[in-house]
Amino acid sequence: MSNGIYGIEIAWLDAVIRLHIIVGLMTVVVMGLIYVERKILARFQQRLGPTRTGPAGLLQSVADGLKLVGKEDLRPRNADPWTFELAPYMVFIPVFLGFVIVPFAFGMQVRILELGLIYFVATSSLGIIGWVMAGWGSDNRYAMIGGMRAAAQGISYELPLVLSLISVAMVSESYNLNDIVLSQSTYPNLLWQPLVLVIFIIAGLAELNRTPFDIPVGESEVVGGPFVEYSGIRWSFFFLAEYAALFIMGLIFAAVFMGGWAWPLGEELGRGWQILLVTIKTSLFIFLVFWIRASVPRLRIDQLMSFSWKILLPLAFLQVLINGAVLVYEAPLWILTITGMLGIVVLVRLIERAVRPQPVTNESTVSIGNESVS
Amino acid sequence: MRGIVKSLATTMSTFIRGPVTRGYPSKHRELPERDRAFPLLLWDKDIDEPFCTGCHACERACPVECMTVLMKDNPSHESQDGNSKRRKIVDEFWIDYGRCMRCNICVEVCNFEAIAMNNTWSGHETSVYDRSDLVMDLPQLMAQSKSDEIQEWVAD
Repeated sequence: MSNGIYGIEIAWLDAVIRLHIIVGLMTVVVMGLIYVERKILARFQQRLGPTRTGPAGLLQSVADGLKLVGKEDLRPRNADPWTFELAPYMVFIPVFLGFVIVPFAFGMQVRILELGLIYFVATSSLGIIGWVMAGWGSDNRYAMIGGMRAAAQGISYELPLVLSLISVAMVSESYNLNDIVLSQSTYPNLLWQPLVLVIFIIAGLAELNRTPFDIPVGESEVVGGPFVEYSGIRWSFFFLAEYAALFIMGLIFAAVFMGGWAWPLGEELGRGWQILLVTIKTSLFIFLVFWIRASVPRLRIDQLMSFSWKILLPLAFLQVLINGAVLVYEAPLWILTITGMLGIVVLVRLIERAVRPQPVTNESTVSIGNESVS
Repeated sequence: MRGIVKSLATTMSTFIRGPVTRGYPSKHRELPERDRAFPLLLWDKDIDEPFCTGCHACERACPVECMTVLMKDNPSHESQDGNSKRRKIVDEFWIDYGRCMRCNICVEVCNFEAIAMNNTWSGHETSVYDRSDLVMDLPQLMAQSKSDEIQEWVAD
């Protein structure tokens, strides 16, 4: 957007105003998301969720925030001071940077970047450094293991995520999020790229460290992973980043796959309707994430890695190749729909093969009668 | 994969069915008619006096000895120009709810159907700050029957 917000043309003032709008929006959205997650998750488990703080528990996040701010900011004596104290910011800032490109409505974003998708992927992968810093700086074995897991998982799932976004960019013929949304005003991309949609959701879950890919913070194994030594405001920074990342991922999902504000009612709509459309689409993704969290148990780390490298990545590469072939030879786009659907079938078959129970071999059993204890 | 789909379906079905939480302290479930809380004395509305004649039957039958009964001559007996057929009537009555084990024996042995088990929430929510407050005297034991708080099954 060339002209400034509210007609302000001074560049730095414009930037400051946009920054404040984003900070305010992010805080409110994160508090709302925490409340909504607790309520939805409670309903999935046939509970009520928060009811005591304010009407229907609406002030729960405010109460939590006050409690976290009031807590003592502890640092273990053996912790690496700089690494430990800077880690929350290193997690938080990349997420915050992601807000620069997400389109809320036509002409409603901080900046339109020509390489918006690449920018999003680049910033979101920076957060891994913060996780590793938190794990390293805490001087705690649980934190260290959690940080290493975060690094391994983050790097592995970054690739399917990038490839899935690239396939979409191929079909939309742009990296610019605004152009991608505009190109979907008649048909959303999920029609041409169903396989990539599935890969994006799976890899997105892993990038957000949400169940079933929450092994870096797995409470039953590494008691919170990198966060184990954090308390108070620093800990809340991690959670602010986590939920803001969820919100951004939802917005990217809405813009890249669901046609953002342009689909299904065209791009001539009023701004209010556009924002409503984007909100609905984002909520859909977020609800899906909560739903999956309520349903699926956590994976093991080796299952997680082999799933990324052996199943998701080859399928994403295959999709990119097919996209290239179809686009270069100008074949009709519905071929992509069919191959994408076939790809989903293959993905399901592969997952079924991977989770098939292994037959117990005789070598691993203990037979005392023949004195062959192995 | 089938397991994942199944688990998603399960959680969605619970989501649709909604919470099973009972908001107990703020919302009271309706109690069944034969709910058994602590024993109460009943009030004879026709003559305006207790049914209880202070005969000590319940006191003697009580396995935990939580009752104390005192008897007196009935001032409103026919011989005293009253309208009551009861020659003797209860003077004082104490039940220690802290000792009572709700066995229902007092109700079974009573010859005058003068004692009954409370079947309202007031019989269950009896928390007090001092244990001696659980010893109920005659007005407290009568209050529920006088104000018709107890339900039909007990009053009959």
